[in-house]
Amino acid sequence: MIELAEVESRLALFAEGIAGRYYHIKPSSEYSSRRLIVDAASAAMTSDTLLLPDALDAEAPAYRVLALEQLAVAQFGSLDFTIAEARRRIPDLRRLAEPDLGVRVSDFELFYQHVEHPAVLSRLFAMCERGRLKAHIRHHYPGIKRHQDAYHERLLADMAAADLNSVPGVVQCLNFLLLGADLPELEKHPLGGALRDAFTSSATVGASVYDTAAASLACYALCEPFIVVHDAELALPDELELDEPAHWLQREARLEDWQEDLKEIDGMIMSVEMLDADNVAAADTDNLADGELRPDDLDLRALENERDTMKRRMDMERSAIRDATGKPRPEARSYRYDEWDYLGHRYLAKWCRLFEERLEPEDGADLNSLKQVIINHRAGVQQQLENIKPLGFQRVFRVADGDELDFNAVIQARQDIRAGISPDERVYSRRERVHRDVCASFLVDLSASTDDPIDEPEPDPTPTAADDGTVPNLRDPYDDDPYAIDHNLADAKRRRIIDVQREAMLVMSAALEQLGDSYGIYGFSGYGRDCVEFFVAKEPEQAFTQATLASIASMKPKRSTRMGPAIRHAVGKLLRSGNALKVLMILSDGFPQDSDYGPERGEHEYGLQDTAKALAEAHDKGVETFCVTVDRSGHDYLKRMCPDARYMVIEEIEDLPEALTKVYEALTA
Amino acid sequence: MSEAANLAYLGEQPYYLPLGDEVAVFQAAYEARLPVLLKGPTGCGKTRFVEHMAWRIFRGDDGGDASGAGIDIPLTTISCHEDLTATDMVGRFLLKGDETLWSDGPLTRAVRTGGLCYLDEIVEARKDTTVLIHSLTDHRRLLPVEKTGELVSAHPDFLLVISYNPGYQSVLKDLKPSTRQRFVSLTFDYPDPEREATIIAHESNVEPALAERLAVIGQKVRNLREHGFEEGVSTRLLIYTGQLVGKGIPARRAAEIAIVNAVSDDLTVQQAIADIVDAILP
Repeated sequence: MIELAEVESRLALFAEGIAGRYYHIKPSSEYSSRRLIVDAASAAMTSDTLLLPDALDAEAPAYRVLALEQLAVAQFGSLDFTIAEARRRIPDLRRLAEPDLGVRVSDFELFYQHVEHPAVLSRLFAMCERGRLKAHIRHHYPGIKRHQDAYHERLLADMAAADLNSVPGVVQCLNFLLLGADLPELEKHPLGGALRDAFTSSATVGASVYDTAAASLACYALCEPFIVVHDAELALPDELELDEPAHWLQREARLEDWQEDLKEIDGMIMSVEMLDADNVAAADTDNLADGELRPDDLDLRALENERDTMKRRMDMERSAIRDATGKPRPEARSYRYDEWDYLGHRYLAKWCRLFEERLEPEDGADLNSLKQVIINHRAGVQQQLENIKPLGFQRVFRVADGDELDFNAVIQARQDIRAGISPDERVYSRRERVHRDVCASFLVDLSASTDDPIDEPEPDPTPTAADDGTVPNLRDPYDDDPYAIDHNLADAKRRRIIDVQREAMLVMSAALEQLGDSYGIYGFSGYGRDCVEFFVAKEPEQAFTQATLASIASMKPKRSTRMGPAIRHAVGKLLRSGNALKVLMILSDGFPQDSDYGPERGEHEYGLQDTAKALAEAHDKGVETFCVTVDRSGHDYLKRMCPDARYMVIEEIEDLPEALTKVYEALTA
Repeated sequence: MSEAANLAYLGEQPYYLPLGDEVAVFQAAYEARLPVLLKGPTGCGKTRFVEHMAWRIFRGDDGGDASGAGIDIPLTTISCHEDLTATDMVGRFLLKGDETLWSDGPLTRAVRTGGLCYLDEIVEARKDTTVLIHSLTDHRRLLPVEKTGELVSAHPDFLLVISYNPGYQSVLKDLKPSTRQRFVSLTFDYPDPEREATIIAHESNVEPALAERLAVIGQKVRNLREHGFEEGVSTRLLIYTGQLVGKGIPARRAAEIAIVNAVSDDLTVQQAIADIVDAILP
C-alpha cells in the first residue's frame, strides 16, 4: 500500500518533466466543484491538477503509471477532438443526423449525442481512447511498460468476469482487453471477435482520437441490440447533471481555437479600417442617400458584431469552465507541510497545502511614491548599516598566486635561499573581496487585518453577515475576490498597516542592495489548511528591479494568517540558499489565526503553538528568526511563541522601517 | 601527439553539427576581425564550436585572408573562474634563480602570436579582467601590459571570443553593457532531440535508437531546470551516458551516474529524474 502524500512532491516533478509544465498533485477525494465529481478511487485531470487516489494497493511506480495515463490525454491529442473533423473523417458518423446543441457543450458531448444512447457511446469511447493512449504511452515511454503491466495485473485480479450479453458486460470486456487480459471466452462469443477487432483498430501508435471515435461507434453498433434504457449501471455523470473532466478540458482547449478566430476577426477589422482610411476621398464623392451605409461600412459592422458575439461567447465559456472546475492556479506550485497539533502532541503529516506564486505587478500602481519612500529613509538606514558594511577589497599577502609580488615575502625567500633553506613559494599578494555570507528572508503577513487603519481599534476579524443582508461564504468568507477589501474607495486615502509594511520592505530592499546581502521578500495569507498562500515578491538570486518594486507595491491584504506552513516554506528556501548565516524575519500585525487553525475558530492557542513549533524547527536547522509585530498587545503571546524572546513590538508603526533595520543589523553584524 | 596537444594544435577537425547559420556568421565575424560573444547554457557545444571554427579557419580551407599560415596555436582557451585576475591573463613577474623575469600570460601570448583566444565563462572572472579586454576589442586592437609598460599590438590573425551563460542571472548583470556591446553575439541552446540524438550517436558511438532515447531524456529533464539546476542536463552529460554504455555499463546505471547524480544534489529531484529516465529507457 502506498499513499499519495508520500510520493506527491516526487510525482509532481516527474509530471513536470514529462509534460513540460507544472501540475498540482491532489487526492481525487479532495476535489470538489459544483458540476464535477471525481471518484475518489480513480484518476482524473483538470487544467492545472492531476487528481489521483489517496492510496493505492500497489507499488510506488503505480502512481507514475496513473500520472502518465492522465498526461497522455493532453500529450497524445485527445483534446484536439473536434466534431467537425470527426464528421469529416468518419463516414459512419456523417450518416447520422448532427445534433443541434449549440456551442455550450463539449465536442465529445456533441459526438455522443449522435446516437440514441449517448451514455453508452461515452463509455465505449472512454475505453477505446484509453486503449489508444496506452499504446502511445508504451511506445514513447517504454520503461513504464513493466510497471503498467504489474499494476494492471493487480487490477485484473479484482475484476469480475464479463457477460457479453449486456452493455456493462461489453464495457467490462473492453476493460479486460485494455488491461491486457487473455480472454479465450471472447473468441467463442459471436460478438467477441468483432469487439476485439474494433478495440484493437484504435489501440495502436498510429491511431488518432478520430480512430477511437470510429472504433467506439463500431462497438456501439455491436452492442446496440441489447442496450437497456436507464440501465442504472450505465448512469453517466452527465445524466446526473455532472460532467466528466475531459469534457471541460476539451472546452478549455477549444477556447484557444476561439481566441485564434478572434484574432483573425480583429485582423480583418483592422484591414477594413485601413482600407476605409485610404478611401476617404473616394467616399466623399460617393452619392449615398442620407443614412445609407457604404458596402465597406456594412462589412465592418458585420465583423464588429461577429467579434462582440465571439467575445461574449468566450467570456461565458470561461465563466462556465471556472464554475465547473474551480479556480485554476496555473502559475502556482503546491507543497504540503506537516502541522503541530499541540493537543495531541504529534505532527499531522502533510496536513497543509501551500500554494506558492509570484506577486504579479498591477497595472497603474504608483511606483513614484514608493521610490520617494526609499529616498526619504535612505539617510537614516544607511547610517544604521554603516556598522556592518563590508570593507570591500582587502589585500591578502603571502599567497602562492597573485597580481603583485609581496616584497617582504620575496626578501624572506632570498634570505632563505642564501641561508640554504628551502624558500616559501608564497611570494605574491592579491586583492580579495570581503563577502558577507548572509541570506535573509522577509515574510510579510498579508492577512485581511493589515487593511486596518493605523491608530484605530482593531475590528473583529471573524467574518460576519454583510450589511446588505447577503450571507458570506462560510467556507471562505473572502471568496474569490481577495482584492475586494482594497477596492473600498471610501478608505482609499487612509494609511493602513499594509502601507507601512510595504514601505518597510522597500526601505530594507534598498538597504540590503547597498550592503550586498542576498534577500528574499515574501507575503503569506490563505484560508484553510488546504489553501495557504505564499507570495513571492523577490527571490534571493533575483536582482532588485522595477518589477520587484511593482511586486512589493502589489502586496495587498488578503485572507487569514496561518503562520506555521509559511514559516516552514520560507525556512526551506533559506536552507537551499546555502549561505552561512540565514535569517528569517516575520512582519505581522497580530497572532496566527485561520478558519481551521485549531479545534475551534477564534481559539488562538493551537495556531500559536504550531507557529512556535515552526520557529523552533527553524532554530534547530540553524536559521535565525525574528518576529516584528505592530500589534501592541503582542508581548502576551510573542514571548511564548518566539524562541529566546526574539521579537519586537513596534509601538509607533511609522517607526517600522528603521526598527527593522536595527533588528537586521543586530542579527547579522 | 598527446590529446591535449592535439586539441591545442587542432590536428583533426573537431566534430560540430551546425544548428543554424552560426558557422557562416562566425566566419564573417572573423574576416571582419569582430570579436565574438557566445551565449548559451553549460554543455550545449560553445567550446566545441570554437574549436571547430579555429580548425576551419587555421587548419581547414576557410581561412580566407588569414589562411592560418604561421599560426602554431590556433586556439588558446582560458577557463575563467572567480579567482582569475588580470595578472593571470596578462602575465606576471616570476622569481627564477637570482632573477625576476616577466612571463607572458595566455592572453598576451595569443595577442602576440595570433589565433583565437577564447575566454570561457567570462563573467566568472573578476571585473578587472573584463576591463582589460576593452582595448583589444575595438579598432585599436591593443593590449596594455601595465607592469612592463608595454603596449602589445594584436597579431593580424588574432580574434577574441568570449562566452557566458545567461542562466546564471546573478552574474548576468556583471557583464556590463560597455563590455557586451563590443562583441557580436551568437546565441546557443541545446539542439532539438533529433539533432541532439545525432550528436550523441556520433560522439559516443551508441546505437541510434539509444541515442534518441537519451536525447528525449535530455529534453524532459530540462523541463525541470527551475528546480535547483538552472542548466538542465547538458548534451555533454548525455554523451557521457552513451560513452559509459559503450564501455559496457547498463543504460539505466549509466544514466544514474552521468545524469541523475550529476545534475542535482536534491534527493527528491534526483528521484524524479530517475523516474523520468526509468520511463524513457526501454
